Amino acid sequence: MIATSRRQFLHSAAPLTGALAWPAWLPRLAFAPAQAAPRGDTLLVVFLRGAADVLNMVVPHGEAAYYAARPTLGLPRPDDTRAASGKRVLDLDGFFGLHPALGGLLPAWQAGHLAIVHACGAPDESRSHFRAMELMERGVADERGPASGWIGRHLASVATPSDRPNPLRAIGFGPVAPRSLTGAVPATALRSITDFHLGGDKLAAARLQAALGALYGGADPLSVVGAETLALLQTVEQLDPEHYTPRPEARYPAGEFGLALRQTALLIKAEVGLEVAAVDLGGWDTHFAQGGSDGLMAGLLRDLADGLAAFHADLVDYLGRVTVVVMSEFGRRLSENASLGTDHGHGSALFLLGGNVVGGRVHGRWPGLAAEQLVGPGDLAVTTDYRDVLAEVCARRLNNAAFDQIFPDYAVRLPGFLK
Amino acid sequence: MSLSRRTFLKLAGLVAAGVTVGACAPVYRQLAGVPPVWRPWPDVDPALFTALNRLTFGPRPEELARAAEIGLAGWIEEQLAPETLADDGTDLQLRRFPTLTRAAHELHAWSDKLFDDQDRATVPAELRQATLLRQVYSRRQLYEVVVAFWSDHFNISVDKGDCFYLKTVDDRAVIRPHALGRFGDLLWASAHSPAMLVYLDQHVSDRGHPNENYAREVLELHTLGVDGGYSQRDVMELARCLTGWTVKEHWWRGEFTFDPGRHADGVKEVLGMTLQPAGQSEAESVLTALAGHPSTARFITRKLALRFLGADAPAALAERAARAFQQTDGDLRAVLRVLLLDGVAAMTAAAGPGLPPKFKRPVDFVASALRQLNAATDAGAPVLEYLGRLGQLPFGWPTPDGYPDRTEAWLGNLLPRWQFALALVDGALKGTSLDLEALWAAADSATVAGRADRLSALLMGAPLPAALRDDVLRAAGDDAGRVLAAGLVASAAFQWR
Repeated sequence: MIATSRRQFLHSAAPLTGALAWPAWLPRLAFAPAQAAPRGDTLLVVFLRGAADVLNMVVPHGEAAYYAARPTLGLPRPDDTRAASGKRVLDLDGFFGLHPALGGLLPAWQAGHLAIVHACGAPDESRSHFRAMELMERGVADERGPASGWIGRHLASVATPSDRPNPLRAIGFGPVAPRSLTGAVPATALRSITDFHLGGDKLAAARLQAALGALYGGADPLSVVGAETLALLQTVEQLDPEHYTPRPEARYPAGEFGLALRQTALLIKAEVGLEVAAVDLGGWDTHFAQGGSDGLMAGLLRDLADGLAAFHADLVDYLGRVTVVVMSEFGRRLSENASLGTDHGHGSALFLLGGNVVGGRVHGRWPGLAAEQLVGPGDLAVTTDYRDVLAEVCARRLNNAAFDQIFPDYAVRLPGFLK
Repeated sequence: MSLSRRTFLKLAGLVAAGVTVGACAPVYRQLAGVPPVWRPWPDVDPALFTALNRLTFGPRPEELARAAEIGLAGWIEEQLAPETLADDGTDLQLRRFPTLTRAAHELHAWSDKLFDDQDRATVPAELRQATLLRQVYSRRQLYEVVVAFWSDHFNISVDKGDCFYLKTVDDRAVIRPHALGRFGDLLWASAHSPAMLVYLDQHVSDRGHPNENYAREVLELHTLGVDGGYSQRDVMELARCLTGWTVKEHWWRGEFTFDPGRHADGVKEVLGMTLQPAGQSEAESVLTALAGHPSTARFITRKLALRFLGADAPAALAERAARAFQQTDGDLRAVLRVLLLDGVAAMTAAAGPGLPPKFKRPVDFVASALRQLNAATDAGAPVLEYLGRLGQLPFGWPTPDGYPDRTEAWLGNLLPRWQFALALVDGALKGTSLDLEALWAAADSATVAGRADRLSALLMGAPLPAALRDDVLRAAGDDAGRVLAAGLVASAAFQWR
């Protein structure tokens, strides 16, 4: 079975694209089927689960109200010489600055590959993680509308270039596929592509694999997922992910997040037809002991920034066809609470990384932090609907402007944050 | 098989005395009532199989036989009174976990390794192992299914702070005693549970800036539901009522306590109720109101209906269950009677509309494979590791909504299920074994095809279509027993219940 599939791969060998040097670890990837070339960019969506405190990520250090509301958690101004330089905000434009633990993102910012949309978010004001995440991943404003995810509907509304479903078209890293990927196209969920084999002795595994081909021969959704999983077993065997060497400048952090980004980079370089990868990063629900320049949240930020920086460096030759979106379900309250943390808020921020973003800028209308400018119990207002940004990603980078399907019942306005 | 009290005590003594489980395992299992060998199993009634598959962690032949004998309604009533079902075998197996019965402060002291930091692994590992053992071996199957439901509903992750040992107390003192009792008692116990207060940051809340985390989730996830008619103001006011609810840190560490010094002064208004300053009892009044609120009755019964009847549960039935909830002051047995007798039993009956299948979550899958293939297991690390890779390590879900109960959430992760099936049949899971030859013999048929059909019926309630069965046997070559057992457990059909 395996030998046959290898031969099939040979027969459909694709011509190499562009003038990129063919890395030594990719000898067999020339066998990738021709019809699997990605359509538009590969999209990587990083979801910060738990409502990240964006006011301490992209700090409005020009706002006195920020410091008044956060006597303990507020991060020192870039010019605050009372604080050690490593603890101060890293200035971006004289008004906003990055948390010092996000310093890894500065090279991408300076290269114009990183854009930030501040005061971005959803209209939902439930301040419920579960409701907000669900609505955001479905890409809808309230309960009504489709149950599928916005990425799933994007994929479903783009014609598949082949009649065979490509199991590597959409991947969610983690135990379960994120809601955003659910839809007409079943998505693959995995922890690491190196775990992708049946185990056991070779003969038993081959026999079981053949039996599973029959046992998942139906047309029901589970059988379709099963058939894709069987196809994926063969593809990954060709890929040999354990021997992937990133570019030397790319230093992925240890842990699941770094591994997921590293493997996404591999799949992009291998041109196996990856269109969307979704990665979750959790732990942002910092009601308690959030920390400032150091501490709990700083550790999370370092993981995030180092991972994205490595991904950016690793894909330096591919940035023209890669777009990364970093988002979270909502922001956190401006005022810190008594447990040195922050409670659920409203406005968030969205990061865009790639070769075709309007980078080096903090986009979006800043609503201000004065009492009368806040919403609800004292939260950052939302001035850019997240769906406008995602719609622009779909239209300009994924060649799909089917907004009526991706974001039904919503009048999209493209804000001009991408080229 | 029932154990005499004397044998029981003798065995319990042996285990408590530290005799290694490995050394006494066979006699221990035999006396514990776990059948060491297969006997030919009875023919399976597909309707009964469907019902029991929903009400257990995978029906064993003896359970199907019992339900056939006394009728499904009688079986459900019997299961709704778990205290009448002797379960010495399971109790005996649990004797090897000393942490299950200890008080919070003892567990804390026990976990504190003076020179070696803190052992944060042993207590949750024992709780997980005990939980899976109960799910696999307990005769009180419906009770364990309901316990798992409440463990999701009042989700607590052992990875948060002191929850690593406090969850053991919560499981013992909150979830298990009230799982089939009154919802109000369950809610009350959960609200006073140190594990819950730590998990949702209530223990660090303070009059200056009340922490809203627990106040919000008790409204949104535990009682009214997100559309149950509360506002952001209700959350903030309830958070003020709850200030001072905390957990002891020194003497009697890990016990609930109310600290009046941290309690917010003044009158509060929650859900239209005006609460005069009364310390701890302010939030308790709110809990009582929440337990009796019509939104709570609707939210809880809808969620139970989702668990037992699936996403398309008839609305009228859920409404009837909600009425039973309100009429009986939240008697969970009364609610379940509606959902199980008028729901599961009526829908699977010959004249019924049928019960739409539900996708097995990882725990359902693993427990049903172990139960229905009659595996002997200690539910130890290798099996729990698989549950982790499958995405449902007990008490490991980080967020307070509990493990998802939607099919789509689990559909994409088939490979570890297949790997588990092969490892189980191959005997590659240390502490877990399968007597494949005995299984094959108990299938009691002269032909390979006949044995395959019997095994399919045992696992899935009905034989595979003949053509599919022949395809599988062809793929199996000369290894029919192994490939068939692994293939059926890994098959699409076995993933549904």
